[in-house]
Amino acid sequence: MRVQLFATCLGDLVFPEAVEDAAALLRAAGCDVEFPRGQTCCGQPAFNAGHRRAAERLAHAFARAFSPDLPIVCPSGSCASMVAHRMPVRYEVWELSAFLDSIGAEPLARNDGLRLAYHSSCHLLRELGVDEAPRRLLARTGAELVPLARPDLCCGFGGTFSVRQPELSVAMADDKLADGGRSDALVTADPGCLMHLQARAARTGAARVVHLATALARGAA
Amino acid sequence: MSFPVLDEHRLAATDAATLRLLTGREEAWAQLDDIEDLRERAHTIRMTAIDDLDAHLDRFVAALEAAGGRAHRCATAEEARATVLRICVDNGAKLAAKSKSMLSEEIGLNTALEAAGIDVVETDLGEYILQLAGDHPVHIIAPAIEKTADDVAALLSAVDGAPVEPRLEALAQAARRQLRRVFEQADVGVTGANFAVCETGSICLVTNEGNGGLVTALPRVHVALLGIERVVPTLDDLSVLLQLLARSGTGQTLTTYTRLLTGPRRKGEDDGPEELHVVLVDNGRSNLRRGRYREMLACIRCGACLNVCPVYRKAGGGAYGPVYSGPMGAVLVPLLRGLEREPHLPHASSLCGACTAACPVKIPLHELLLDLRRDLVGEGIVSRSERLAFTLWSLLWSRPALYRLSTALGRLGRPLGALAGPGRTWAAGRALPPLARRRYRDRA
Repeated sequence: MRVQLFATCLGDLVFPEAVEDAAALLRAAGCDVEFPRGQTCCGQPAFNAGHRRAAERLAHAFARAFSPDLPIVCPSGSCASMVAHRMPVRYEVWELSAFLDSIGAEPLARNDGLRLAYHSSCHLLRELGVDEAPRRLLARTGAELVPLARPDLCCGFGGTFSVRQPELSVAMADDKLADGGRSDALVTADPGCLMHLQARAARTGAARVVHLATALARGAA
Repeated sequence: MSFPVLDEHRLAATDAATLRLLTGREEAWAQLDDIEDLRERAHTIRMTAIDDLDAHLDRFVAALEAAGGRAHRCATAEEARATVLRICVDNGAKLAAKSKSMLSEEIGLNTALEAAGIDVVETDLGEYILQLAGDHPVHIIAPAIEKTADDVAALLSAVDGAPVEPRLEALAQAARRQLRRVFEQADVGVTGANFAVCETGSICLVTNEGNGGLVTALPRVHVALLGIERVVPTLDDLSVLLQLLARSGTGQTLTTYTRLLTGPRRKGEDDGPEELHVVLVDNGRSNLRRGRYREMLACIRCGACLNVCPVYRKAGGGAYGPVYSGPMGAVLVPLLRGLEREPHLPHASSLCGACTAACPVKIPLHELLLDLRRDLVGEGIVSRSERLAFTLWSLLWSRPALYRLSTALGRLGRPLGALAGPGRTWAAGRALPPLARRRYRDRA
């Protein structure tokens, strides 16, 4: 099956290894992965800040880069939701784990003996309704899933929220990191949550935070 | 304008109370056979009334007057205050006993009555505590949520002139003792109204403490403040909303008291007021009747969105302003007062959508926040520098070559990122994210 990989801007610039892991998982599941070279960003930062004209410019760039006739897969629930719900063109867009789960992917047993906690990122959970697929895939890699007290609680990133409300944003990250503290690693499907939580954990020495694609492809250890 | 995190004392009190309330809601919803169907029906009932609000208000007023009540339509807070004051003065009132009403907070009623020499006493325990403390409510259904038993004991002890133990039972007994005189002597009872039923002209009051019963039965005059959007067509419709209100607010199946009041005391009846006045308050609600913002008028003030909101739970209700807070406040207040006066409220959210998922009448709260942010930009309320930044950014990133160039330059400039602007704000509590040496596109 041919799919278009949308790296997302954070994936491209900050977490290229996670995107490589995503591409490897797709190939291992038998997909022919294309990387449209004209891609940049879905425009969500502008859309969420109310700058619709700016967001439209990015949406047009997105439309020039991606074909509406092939599925788009991206390692981010939030960007997948943006593409699914807030663009003038209709795409068949999937968050990575939802797609892998739907085609019955069998990731290798990279997490045998590891205790992992999964953070249900907000837009993946509430706007795309995806919650079990990431857990199912992690379980297939041999991980023992440690339930979070509040898996659905926002980690505090929220795009521009993280700098408009820095105190609250950091306090929310601390709650999430503390909740994940009983596991070997906290796993998230979103580069936004990942960047925010890792950045806070780097200051406090709190839990290890890993992208889902990395946890599935290479293990979370 | 960013919100600070509550101090430790108030944070702990808020966290425990909201967790109890939100867990209660989740359990109460889980016990219903089909919560989604009920939410959908509730949404339809609310929107039916809102889409044809004038006709529904006319029907309610006609039925109310047929039952012997009097209706007063007020366009503004000022008119509403003047109306209540006139009713009090006409009846020679010296003391008004109040049951909890967020609308009375919205219109600033207490201050207006007190300025005219009328004593006003709150009789809802939470509101009474706040009145003693001189504070505003910080939660629409649990107004004193930030106060602990020790805080309350100190306030009640000061009234008694003797120590009151910080136990729930002792606190409630002390408040009852202190308020007894008010119930007996009040000339006017002032309440809100959770709903108004068009077919019967009834107002519905939902309470847990019994003070609402005393306030509406003992004083000679009862004044009920009603937001014009709170009408429901029939009693059957009301029953749908009542199934959701208490479950969503406190996790109760029903509140301790659900009161349906139809007109004043009739001949041969033993209790009830001689006069019932319903003050119908617009105060900006008509502004919401355009486009998608109409949905906000469906709100039944259950507080579920506050309890699930991570922003509310960290910042507390006071951060949003003196009256409404949490996601419902962040949407409603700018719409009532004007975006230019409340430009920061639409940004008091991480857009996590927990509010939308918790709303019993299916108001798309986080979507409305997005619309308000769009309007902030559209109406030119955002700063010139923010607009310029997003415009420049979108011009660069909508062209792949300029994206590549700007991100390569960005990597070079990254060490300076923590010195100013958003990077500096970010770096106050977090490490700056490392930009990869080779982007994914350079590897693919």
